[in-house]
Amino acid sequence: MSEQTQTSGLDLRALGPHLLLPLAIVAVIAVFAMLQPAMLSGDNVVNIMKQSSLFFFVACAQLVVIITRGFDLSVGATVSLVSVASSMVMTALIPSLGDGLGIFAGVVIGLLIGAAIGAVNGLLVAYGRINPFVVTLATMSIFTGVATTISGGFPIFNLPDAFTFAFNQMTILLLPIPLIIAGLVAYGLHFALTRTVHGRVLYVLGDSNEVAHVGGRRVKEHLFFAYVTSGVLASIAGLLMTAQTGSGEPNLGTSLVLSSIAAAVIGGASLRGGTGGISAPVYGSLLIVCLSIGMNLQQINGSLQPVVIGAILVFGAALDAYRTKVR
Amino acid sequence: MTAIAASQPSRLGRVMKAIGILPVVLLITCVLLALYEPRFLRTSNLINVLRNASFLAIISAGQMLVIIVGGFDISVGAIVALTSVSSALSMAGLTSMGVESAPMIVFLGCLGGLIPALIVGVANGFFVSVMKISPFMVTIGTMTMAAGIAGYVTGGTPIYDMPELFTREIGRGRLMELPYVVYAAVIVLMVLWYMQTQTRLGRYFYAVGGNEKASRLSGLNTRKYIWLAYILSALLAGIVGIFLTARVGSGEATLGSNLMLESISVAVIGGVALKGGVGRIQMVALSAIFLSVLSNGMSLARIDSKYHIIIIGLVIIIAVAAESYRENRRSGHV
Repeated sequence: MSEQTQTSGLDLRALGPHLLLPLAIVAVIAVFAMLQPAMLSGDNVVNIMKQSSLFFFVACAQLVVIITRGFDLSVGATVSLVSVASSMVMTALIPSLGDGLGIFAGVVIGLLIGAAIGAVNGLLVAYGRINPFVVTLATMSIFTGVATTISGGFPIFNLPDAFTFAFNQMTILLLPIPLIIAGLVAYGLHFALTRTVHGRVLYVLGDSNEVAHVGGRRVKEHLFFAYVTSGVLASIAGLLMTAQTGSGEPNLGTSLVLSSIAAAVIGGASLRGGTGGISAPVYGSLLIVCLSIGMNLQQINGSLQPVVIGAILVFGAALDAYRTKVR
Repeated sequence: MTAIAASQPSRLGRVMKAIGILPVVLLITCVLLALYEPRFLRTSNLINVLRNASFLAIISAGQMLVIIVGGFDISVGAIVALTSVSSALSMAGLTSMGVESAPMIVFLGCLGGLIPALIVGVANGFFVSVMKISPFMVTIGTMTMAAGIAGYVTGGTPIYDMPELFTREIGRGRLMELPYVVYAAVIVLMVLWYMQTQTRLGRYFYAVGGNEKASRLSGLNTRKYIWLAYILSALLAGIVGIFLTARVGSGEATLGSNLMLESISVAVIGGVALKGGVGRIQMVALSAIFLSVLSNGMSLARIDSKYHIIIIGLVIIIAVAAESYRENRRSGHV
């Protein structure tokens, strides 16, 4: 009898960290729903789904490299550059190739740019053995510059309606298309991280570089591909966000760098590397998006919103520090 | 005879190793600029470069201290903004309260600006050293909070109504042709140089950053030194905030928004290793001058400002790649 209560107590304690974030998200939604019934209206729920799926991709991009004890400060620049470049390709090609092929070319170019930026980061981090913070700081600066240069600093309009429809407004079984893509990516990433050698090596890399070496894996290749994955995920975010705003924006990703790291870490990835699954970006992006949409509905002053997010960030990081101490 | 001949190149090599490649690059950049663009050598332009370098050097000195103890300070730019807003607000407030003496207003206003900076620094240090939270997360958090508060307090409009003494004297005044901020930078650099090379405190900073566990086990209060580094960094950022406010003549919540990246770039180009325990103030000062010369040269050569960030990014990569190449080769020999 007493044994049973003990085990159930232990179970609860083991379950605690897993339940904390979903409960926090539900609490945030409940509080704002009480203050503003509009929080639960159909439009707003769709909005939350869309926004958090868009944000999910940058958080994922961050997660993949955070697992290896890295950083990717260039995700924002990737989003901006992909947005501008793919818009330019689409507007340039559509008159001659038609909507379908033009959009296809734009999307492919966008993904390629993401992969290329990731490859540059990966080369310098894995093969050049330079600190990822410095590498991605520099590439962030470079590719933000490229994005503003090729666009001249102005938004690129006249994107085809088919593009915004196909990548933002379309719904399948009532689910908005960004959410569906996010679900597919989440499944793929979860599979890659937990069921493949590549994924396991990334965790080992985050725990200890030497162990990975001793384990006989070609560590550099895996590290390189982690950055490429990060770049591609960021470019998907860039494409979807471009479809959302309906124009190619050279500063689309500026504010995403810090908040993407915040989302991954609040969700449970540790900056010390080696931990964090697919649940981290899911919870992290939901929490941050629900908070900011709720605060907008409540009409909280725009400059005070970052104060709240910052406080949550420090709190989440403190929680992470506490968790590692307990372990 | 042969011994001397043999020792000569090695001495040159040793000197090169001691001073590094940065002074050479700086010299070459200056000479090329002077040849290409004679306006570079005008006194007014040189003073301009020196002024920008001083702002950068002060804030990067703080960044350097934090990086040496193995951290980061992302909040420095937001501290500049917060200091600017709060010092301008306190000066405007004191003036409207009817305080007559201008030096008093300026003095209290500067204090009013430095207090929020101090608070942010203390908070950063507390969370990093006592709570053991990753410095990156802590300073991102305090950065967003400080920038948000600065934006909220001003409501997006600059704050004027500061005494003439502040905006004209401190902001634009000169002593022997040089702006005051240059002297401030020289004092900061000298003090830090003395601290790093001559005092125990300086050595303890290196020890804590080089190997925290070993320093703790050998009896150092590592928390104290980490905390102190963040406080110093915040105060130096506050000083930059006050000088910048005086220079632009108004308290602005957007001041210093790119100083965070620039200060980290300066530290990194100046050879401060992000793994901690390495970094000299002289090199950071040189690197601040180098970046100022570079951006001044690009402006003089009418290179579009959009290219500036591309070029600075490339310079960071080249500097760090050269450093890591040198390090790899050195460790390969041993």
